[in-house]
Formats: sequence, C-alpha cells, structure tokens
Amino acid sequence: MREPTVRKQNIHHNHLKTRLIIFGTLAILLVVCSFFSEYLCPYDPYLQDLGNAKAAPSLAHLFGTDRYGRDMLSRVIAGSRTSIYSTLLLVGFITVFGTIAGIVCAWNGGRLDSVVMRISDMFLAFPGLVFALAVAAVLGGGVQNAIIALAAISWPKYARVARSQTLAQKETVYIRAARLSGCSSSKLIIKHILPNIFGPVLVTAMLDIGTMMMELAGLSFLGLGAKPPVPEWGSMLSDTRNLLATHPWVTLAPGFAIFVSVMIFNLLGDTVRDWLDPRNAR
Amino acid sequence: MKLKKLYAIALSVCLGISLLTGCGGQKQEGPEKPDTSAASAAAAEQSEEKKTLVIGDTTFNASNEEYDVNPHNAYSGWACIRYGVGETLIKYSDEMEIQPWLASEWENVDELTWKITLRDGVKFSSGRDMDAAAVKQCLEHLLEVHDRAQKDTKIASMEADGQVLTIKTSEPKPALLNYLGDPYGCIIDVDAGFENGIVAGTGPYVAVELKTDDHLTLVKNENYWGGTPHIDELTIRTITDGNTLANALLSGEVQAAYGMAYESYPLFQNDDYRISQIATSRCFFGKMNFDASSVCKDPAVRKAIAMGIDKEGFVAVLLDGNGYPANGTFPSGFAFGGDKVTAESYDPEGAKKVLEDAGWTDSDGDGIREKDGQKLTVKWLTYPSRQELPLLAESAQATLKEIGIEVDVNCTADHIEAVKEPTAWDVYAMANVQCPTGDPEYWFTVFATSDATKNQGKYNSAKLDELEAKMSQTFDPDQRAELAIEMQQTVLDDHAFVYCSFLKMSMISRANVSNYTSHACDYYQVTADLDIQ
Repeated sequence: MREPTVRKQNIHHNHLKTRLIIFGTLAILLVVCSFFSEYLCPYDPYLQDLGNAKAAPSLAHLFGTDRYGRDMLSRVIAGSRTSIYSTLLLVGFITVFGTIAGIVCAWNGGRLDSVVMRISDMFLAFPGLVFALAVAAVLGGGVQNAIIALAAISWPKYARVARSQTLAQKETVYIRAARLSGCSSSKLIIKHILPNIFGPVLVTAMLDIGTMMMELAGLSFLGLGAKPPVPEWGSMLSDTRNLLATHPWVTLAPGFAIFVSVMIFNLLGDTVRDWLDPRNAR
Repeated sequence: MKLKKLYAIALSVCLGISLLTGCGGQKQEGPEKPDTSAASAAAAEQSEEKKTLVIGDTTFNASNEEYDVNPHNAYSGWACIRYGVGETLIKYSDEMEIQPWLASEWENVDELTWKITLRDGVKFSSGRDMDAAAVKQCLEHLLEVHDRAQKDTKIASMEADGQVLTIKTSEPKPALLNYLGDPYGCIIDVDAGFENGIVAGTGPYVAVELKTDDHLTLVKNENYWGGTPHIDELTIRTITDGNTLANALLSGEVQAAYGMAYESYPLFQNDDYRISQIATSRCFFGKMNFDASSVCKDPAVRKAIAMGIDKEGFVAVLLDGNGYPANGTFPSGFAFGGDKVTAESYDPEGAKKVLEDAGWTDSDGDGIREKDGQKLTVKWLTYPSRQELPLLAESAQATLKEIGIEVDVNCTADHIEAVKEPTAWDVYAMANVQCPTGDPEYWFTVFATSDATKNQGKYNSAKLDELEAKMSQTFDPDQRAELAIEMQQTVLDDHAFVYCSFLKMSMISRANVSNYTSHACDYYQVTADLDIQ
C-alpha cells in the first residue's frame, strides 16, 4: 500500500519545483520591472493631454487614456513601483520587527513576554483594516502613513509565529546542550534559533504579500494612501470609478494590475509553503 | 470512512437548506402580510396610493454650510428654498429679473424707504397667517443672527400695518429687494421655533424630520396657497459621492438627483431619464491668499497662476462641455458680464516669463522654481462635494507644473475650517453662484471688499472699496453695470481671483418624474408642480 503514496509524492515534488521556478521568476520579473518602471513607461505618466482624454485602448495607448489624457499603461507601470515596493517594504519591516519581538519575548519570558503579548492581543482584537483606517486618518494621507498604519496592525501575527516556534526550539535537547557548553544567548539565537524558525516566518510573509498589497490599495482607494497625481493602483481605481460604466478600460487597467500581481505573489507564497513543508521533504 | 462521508452529506444538506431558506425568506413576506388582517390590508392600499419621491443631492451637507433648513443659519436657506420649505418676498425670472412672490407689489417711496405689500391668503405651515407683523418678526430675527443679511440689506427699521410692510434702510440700498430674494430671505414663522433646524415656512412642503449630512423628510403642505402639491412624502438624501449618486439613480433608490458628476451624464442620456439643464452664474474660481506667509502675496505668482490654468481644456474635457470658460466674475448673459472685462488667458510661456522676471528661477533643476531659498509650492485647497473641483485641482496641478509651480492639493470636506487658517492654503478653489440676486453688488460684498464676509484671503484694495461705496449709492442699473465692470477689472488686474468656468447646472430625474427643473439662479428645485407618475 505504501508504494503509490511515495510515487505520488515524487510527482508532486517535481511539479513543485516547476511551480517554484515559474512563480519565482514571475515575481522577480515583477519586482525588477517595477524597479525600472521609469524606463519602461512609454509615456510620461504625469503628462496631461486633454485633447486625447478618455481615448479607448489602441496601439498607441494599449490601456487607453484617462480623463486627463494620461496614458494608462504608463500610469499602471509607474504605479507598480509605488504599489509593489510599498508592499515589500511593509512586509519586510513587519517580518523583521515581529520576529525580533517574538524571539525576545520567548527567550526572556516573564513579565516582558506577558506585556508584549497582551499588547499584541490588543492589536489582534481590532478588525485590521478598520484600525489601519483610524491610524491613517490620525496621521493623514500619504503612502508612508498608510504603511505605518498597516505595520502597526500586522506585526503581532509575526511575533506570535516567531514566539511559538522559539518556545518549541528553546526546549530542544540540542539547544540545552549548546547552552551547557557555554554558548551565549545571542549566538544561540542567531546560529540556532533563527535558522530553525526561518521557514514558518518566511511562509507567513510570502502569503501576506498579496493581502498587504490589497490592503494598501484599499487604503489608497479610500483616499488615505497615495495622493493624486502619484500613480498608485488603489487610488487610480478610486479616481476613475466614475468612469467604470462609460469608459471601463480606465478602471480595468489598475484593477487588472492588482489582480495579476496579487495572484502571482499568492501562488508563489503557496508554493513556498508546500516547498518548505516537511511532508514534501526533499 | 463511512462516518466521514455521513458527516459530509449531513453538512452539505444543512448548507443547502440554509441557502434555500435564505432565498425564500424574502419572498414569503410579501403575500403573507395582507392576509393577516383587514386593517393592514387597508394600510397597504393606502401606502400604494401614497406618492413618494426621493431626491439625491451631493451638496446638501455641512461642508456646503447647509446644515438644516433654517434660513437664518449660514447657507441653510439654500436647502430651505430648494426643497420647497420656504419662499422669499420676490422670485427671480429665468432672466434673473425680480418678480412678485410672497410680496405682491412694492414701491420705492424714497431712497431709504420701501413699501412692500404682501400677498393675501398665505399661511405658514404652523397655521399662522403671513402678515406684515410676521414678516417683520422674521426679518428682525434674521438681522440679529445673520452676518451677510445685516451687511447686505442695511435695514434700519420696519413698520407693519396689516399686509403692508414699510422698510427703512440706514443708507440707500438700490438692490434691497434683490437681496431679500436671497435664500436667507425665506419668510418663516419665528414663533414656530427652530427646533432641530426645522422651521415653518410658506412653501409647498413641510419639513418633518432632518439629520444633517444624511436626509431630510418632507410632507406636502395641504394648505399651500399656490395649489396642492402632488407628492405626499418627499425625501432629500445627502449623497456626497457622485458615483454613489449615479448608482442610486440607476438602481431606483433615488428618483431624481442634483449635483451629478458630468462624467456620469452619458448613463442618463436616454429615454428612461430626463435631464433639465440651464446655464447659471455658478462659477468655479480660485481665491488667492494675501497673507504674508503665502507665496500668493507675490503679484507675479498670482499672475502666473492666472495665466497657467487651461480653462478651455477644463471646460471642454473635464466638464464634458457642460459649462463655459470664465473671463470675469459674471457670465456673458449679464449686462456687466462676459467679455466686458479682460482677464489673463492661458499662456504658459508668458507665465514662465512673468516668474522669471520676478526672480523665481529653477536653480536646482527639479522643474520647480525657487526664490531666496523658498520653493514655489502653492497649497491648493478645495473640496469634493462639487464633483469637478478635484478635477480642476489636478488639471491645474499639471498645467502649473509646466511653468515651474508645484501644486500641493488638499481636497477636503473640512474646507470651511481649513480656509480659516491663513497658513494652510494659498489658493482656495470653490464653486459659487456669482449673481444669485441678479445684481452684481452681492458678489463683491461677500467675497472681495476688505470687510467682505467671505474674504478669507484678506484681499484689500482701496480702489475696490471706493467703487463699492459708490455702487451702494447708485440706483440706475446702467451705472451699476458700469461700476460692476470697473470693479471686476480691478479685481482681475490685482489677480486676486482667478475665474475658471461657469457651469450649466443640471438636474436629472427618472422619466416618470415631471417638473423637476433647474433654474438660472440655482435656488428653486422643488415646487408644487413636482410630480411622479
């Protein structure tokens, strides 16, 4: 009975590798493209040309133009920088900060642990976007403030993951042995704990990229993220929603961009999770 | 294994049932009700007969200073007159000439004395007769609490005798009756009180419930002097977002709409809807801030801004042609409007030169000019309830950038508070009906003279003040028109204001709504003729 299972796993494993390569490449492509976005735009994304406003998609303007006659393709490409980079920055920041908080709490335990964990409980008790809205409203608009708002609400998840993993590792025999042989705390954390909790934290982060991208776009849509005329997918959607019924391409372009990039990052996240899953051991 | 399957089946059955009941629930409610009792059947029949109408409005909100329907409170008179609660002594014709309304006739006894005869047989919705004593009481209250009214009318004393009201002004006020046609001049029964911002007027509808920024409920005034209104219950719903308003009208949630974004018009240009459109003196214009901290203190910057806005492009594209590029303060329909004055036209090259000559140069190559270490950044304050104001801001942002001016847009519903802070803005772009009283003096005394109530930019021109003093004493309409032209030119030469466009105002309704018609002064909306089939 065991044999077919093994074979199944092998097939799965092979698929996994292909998937990892495909989605990894796509994601890297997206990030690289957004980095060089200013060289990729066929037109100046800020250049208004009222004479050519609301033009339907054509060879000259693949995604058409918006109400100010700005080329939508250029704006979507330019917007990728704001959208993707803010998301990566946000996820990177909360991963690092949350992990550090989690490890420190688990390692030291005691009062610090209780206090920080209760604070994180408080944050977890709020509905995410509503809290982020409140924070962004207090701080004012702008991408920077939207990132701060979302970071404030999202770090506890990472702290929790890191903490539970560290607690488990802390009690393992090899850590005790290392400690007995005189290894310092910092060395223990960096050399032994971190590499061992890296997998679950990475998976959480990868799966979060898509969500964060949506939430950032959501805040911008509500007017609390990027300010016009800065191209950002969420605010572009919001700006042009009046035109949805009459000139749909103007709204579809940023919507499509959000859809594609969120999908790529989500699929990549799923693949990385499967890849790191011990059941798919290489 | 079997157990698992059983669980799965049980779960999916549960899910299916809950889905079905979810769908079925609503259907059952309808037919069940009439069966329960005869009384409820009668009620249902009655409600079928009851004519209701919901109007969506983007501007009936605190951000336009329309808090309620009390005409003595800021700009709430606009809501009072628009939704058929109150009426004024005179009414404007489509040509903006004054006609009798609650006043049947009037006489200018001498320069300071006006004798106004009131219409007979008019009752307030409180039941009180509208006589000279009631009008006197109302105007006295108005003068006590309303800044603009005091300044505009200069009423010194009033005498009431039956239906005749004699008004004496402290100085000659040729445009007194025009001013009394302003929405703040709605005649209300002061004794009936102002509870919750609801007042008793003489109009075809009676306000019964109100929540600022949300809705206003009105019922028909059975004793209306001008015939019986057709709608039993009228609701005005505040929907500040243009897109939401368009969807509400499409879905039938509202049957008529005021303040729709021009971009949404194509959705309603078909047989299912009616669009009533008229050219008005409603204008999009920018006020400059003369505060010492503002970059607009510099005449060159003001001139460059005036030369750097593409009015033609804005009107043709962003207003979809639903307006006219503005030259001066007033549109061309008036004896003192249109091209009788000269203003800067869109000239980016000229604007660059103006700034260059004034010492504003781009020294660090970022495309934005600097002078004495100060970056040429203009803080542009505007608000979203007039749907095209944000578009004007973004358009100006692009055209001004061309000439080296950075525009930092602050588009907020809280603009009324923001504009009070002199360091918070340099240009305040707003929408206003420039000539609602058919007379030019109103605009200058509200916005431009040094003591004007809405001169938040602290524009101060001795020449303008002098001309205004002269105008306030001039009775002859031709002379007033000439003065108005000179005053506009003064304001334009100082570049204290930049006028962008006049708007065609439109009201859109479903095809079964009749007599929902826009008017040149933008005051009258709901009348006794309004009906729904």
